Amino acid sequence: MGGSSGSFVLFEEIIKLVNKPLPCALIFVLHRGKSSLSELPVLFKSKTKVRMEEPQHLDLLDTNCIYFAVPDYHLLIGPDRRFYLDATEKDFFSRPSIDATFISAAQSGIRIKAAMLFSGASEDGAAGIKQIAEKGFSTYVQNPDFAEVPRMPLAAINEYDKHQILNEENFFDEIRSILYSYST
Amino acid sequence: MIALEYQELEMLIVRVREISGFDFSGYARPSLLRRASRYLTKHAMNLSELIVHLEQGGKAVYDFIQELTVNYSEMFRDPDFFISLRSEVFSYLESFPAIRIWVAGCASGEEAFSLAILLKETGLYNRSLIYATDLSERVLSSAREGVFSLGHMRTFSENYLLAEGKHSLSDYYHVAYSQAVMVPDLRKNIVFSLHDLTGDGVFNEFQMVSCRNVMIYFNLEQRQKVFKLLYESLAMFGFLCLGKRETLRYSGYEEHFRIIDTRLNIYQKIK
Repeated sequence: MGGSSGSFVLFEEIIKLVNKPLPCALIFVLHRGKSSLSELPVLFKSKTKVRMEEPQHLDLLDTNCIYFAVPDYHLLIGPDRRFYLDATEKDFFSRPSIDATFISAAQSGIRIKAAMLFSGASEDGAAGIKQIAEKGFSTYVQNPDFAEVPRMPLAAINEYDKHQILNEENFFDEIRSILYSYST
Repeated sequence: MIALEYQELEMLIVRVREISGFDFSGYARPSLLRRASRYLTKHAMNLSELIVHLEQGGKAVYDFIQELTVNYSEMFRDPDFFISLRSEVFSYLESFPAIRIWVAGCASGEEAFSLAILLKETGLYNRSLIYATDLSERVLSSAREGVFSLGHMRTFSENYLLAEGKHSLSDYYHVAYSQAVMVPDLRKNIVFSLHDLTGDGVFNEFQMVSCRNVMIYFNLEQRQKVFKLLYESLAMFGFLCLGKRETLRYSGYEEHFRIIDTRLNIYQKIK
């Protein structure tokens, strides 16, 4: 899941939905300032009992774990199911960038349950979520009409119009059922 | 956006080795894939066009290697690191008559100049020698010139102040032709030289090695080899400085160091 301005509150609500063991790994990429010191696993500690981590370079990806991309590095996923930190240039003035994580996941060959893109002020994520969709995985974009900052979901839809749209009425219910579905 | 696949990347690694002798096989594939894809996108080439281009050899292949290995750095990157260095490491180095520091993977010299400034402000510079190495002759020659763009200098100045620098960064450079040139006095104890962490060995013994945001370039096996090299290059009780998000995990040397700063990844060799 990727998000920027206006997505933090969504992330928080989604984490609250995770109230039993997850059949997948859940990875959040949120744009953050490079000197941002607050650790999201600490911040969200009271919201869920599922393990939360900021992955280190070469950590193995586990199911039933929630991961947060650390500030100032791109978070890549390798075909060996390890996380790789990357300090190359920013995408759309962002490091971590959502595209970097999404594209590496699409290329990794690991099965992706779903990719989701939420509110934000840049066009980061559009290229990456398109690549995930083109590999045949499910992709979801927040309806720009109810996104706090519509530019990011709008850019994704403009880039590729076959993403499924998450609407305001059943936004969290739908995400919960996707997270806990066991279908392929 | 041009997306390479992993098999194509492996083929590219083989071709680059055949053409140039440079071996990317110890490099972390996901990063390399990202860099290679970005190179193709930036130069509007597909893979076969790239290979034809590289087969010219010489500058073409050299530029490609350069672009895939260059380390983007800043002066006083992670300002807290320099504060910790001053209080935890330099206070210890003070007792040494001669201090040798290795900046491994120095790119254009940002880290080496930052350390030189810090050493100067703690009165240690005259008995210090900084060896700054990189695998690219081109970035080294730029580092030797000590020239940086004024745009970058603005960021570096902010970092310097956050790192509790005692003066103003502009005291350490002068402006010529709209560029910042580091003062010669600062360069006199820095030796810039060629060294490839994936191929070359130990060349001296150091009281401190700074190798920040370099380890993340390598895959698991290569990374262990580089850790061995750094370990063997350190004097007993010497300090190893890694990037803000780099730890000794998976290094094989966890037991040989004690943690000096757990947040900024400063370690001391203890056995």
